[in-house]
Amino acid sequence: MTLKTRLLIPLVILFLNIGFSQDSKVVISSTDISESSFLDRTEFKVSYSGNIFWNNGLNFGAEYILKEYKKVKNRKRGQRTNTHQFLLNGTLGFTTNFSTKTDTGIITNYGITWRRTNKKGKQLSIAFNPIGYYRSFLPETYEVNNDNVEKIFLPGRGYYAPSISIGIGKQRLGKKITGRFFNVNLLLRTPYNAGTLPAINLQYGFRFKFKKKRNDAKNN
Amino acid sequence: MMRKIINNYSKKIVLIIALFTVFSCSKDINFSDLNDTIFVRHRNADMPAYIHGNGSEKIFLIILHGGPGGIGLAYRSNTIKSGIEKECAVVYFDQRGSGMAQGSYSESGINIDIMAEDILALVKVIKYKYGNDSRFFLMGHSWGGTLGPATLLKDQSDFLGWIDVDGAHNPKGIYAEYIANFNTVAAEQIEAENDINYWESVIDLVNNVAPQYNRDDISKLNNEAFEAENVLQDRGIINADADSDDNTIFKYTPLTIIWNANNTQSILDTDLFQNIDYKDRLSEITIPSLVLWGRYDMVVPIQFAQDSFDNLGSSEKELVIFENSGHSPMSTEPALFAEKVIAFINENK
Repeated sequence: MTLKTRLLIPLVILFLNIGFSQDSKVVISSTDISESSFLDRTEFKVSYSGNIFWNNGLNFGAEYILKEYKKVKNRKRGQRTNTHQFLLNGTLGFTTNFSTKTDTGIITNYGITWRRTNKKGKQLSIAFNPIGYYRSFLPETYEVNNDNVEKIFLPGRGYYAPSISIGIGKQRLGKKITGRFFNVNLLLRTPYNAGTLPAINLQYGFRFKFKKKRNDAKNN
Repeated sequence: MMRKIINNYSKKIVLIIALFTVFSCSKDINFSDLNDTIFVRHRNADMPAYIHGNGSEKIFLIILHGGPGGIGLAYRSNTIKSGIEKECAVVYFDQRGSGMAQGSYSESGINIDIMAEDILALVKVIKYKYGNDSRFFLMGHSWGGTLGPATLLKDQSDFLGWIDVDGAHNPKGIYAEYIANFNTVAAEQIEAENDINYWESVIDLVNNVAPQYNRDDISKLNNEAFEAENVLQDRGIINADADSDDNTIFKYTPLTIIWNANNTQSILDTDLFQNIDYKDRLSEITIPSLVLWGRYDMVVPIQFAQDSFDNLGSSEKELVIFENSGHSPMSTEPALFAEKVIAFINENK
């Protein structure tokens, strides 16, 4: 028996044991959000985005709930209810490397986010943004064509820039700031030189709802 | 009505005019202490040039970095920053596909010919910005010593001098020279009873590579060359790198420069090591030339120094060997390096 098979068998037994030791009945119920207003279904967000030592910037965005359902699992220790959401996601941000200003740009991304929230409000999110655009802004730039030199107005380049993110967060029910999150984001810029440039950014920020604030104002 | 508007807004108008005046004044060029970052757009690439130092005589030293795929500002340290920048303006340039250079082109849009034209485009931009009376010296290190001759062979009329620092003017010949140089240095070190096990392993490596160019083997030999310099440095034969006060690491996003370097090298390397050889055309370079080399350069072996010096067509040329240096004498003997470069510039400006 090969080493791989010898390792695989105990792992399979372990998983089966865990699986059958619990009552694996799962109830999935869809949440009716059709009556909710746009602002009820929308969270806005603002976050730091960058890699701390080099590029730094800010991101602004919104998330609109498309679909929400609850998954109830019966466990030995009781019921476990997780909320799953699919959200439309859009962001607009800017980034720069302050030391040389050779990597300044604005970026906008649109896509779908899947998010799971457990009963303690802890969240796991995966976002896939297939639509994205990055516009770089360069400092003083001169274009050379044969012997002709010309200063360029608003120099920079546009790139197709899709991205994916994975992150964790914490829901804060009933608060003005409805949640905070930390994401790791992989952004691609293409065509960049003779290929596609990857960039990894860390995003830390907050979500908030305008609706909540308005209700508070009314109450006051 | 009009008077009312003027009265209401007069303070704001005066403030706006004052701000415009201040900011328009700040655009004046302070030639004695240049500190500019400009981009050169040429043939679908945007390439940054970082210009620092004393430009009061409008003398610019353009440094061509190594690689391919190196970074311009890596050279802004030690005596280049503290000494040479006081004598002239130094232009640190990120070449096409390197450092923070960006653009959009196919793989056929990056080759040594286009990159040489980029350098000539940089010269045109500097003249446009700082004046037509600007004068230039060109310095190339390592791969920059390949790109330098390629540039000068296209047009050397704007340059007052060429400084070749451990440059590979003949990449096609470097494979055979690696084998010869490793054998020579390993024999010397074993005879001197220095790091015998290591140098025997080097001889083993050399005996096991293909006798002719091979892409995998040249990569092994190149990596071993850097390792060999580390061993010679630990032995005290090559000086330790001088402490540098630069903060280059914060000026480039690491993932960007690594990705750029890998991509650019993967496109250029095969052509470079199989086809590029300027040895027979160095005689066409007739501007004053200074050849600087580390005695223990394992990356571009010292035989290339003599070849370069012998073949350059300049009537005024000098060869300087740095006895305690490897591939980067600007880091290991920075005082002597600056002294030689400044003297050369002063003699030929």
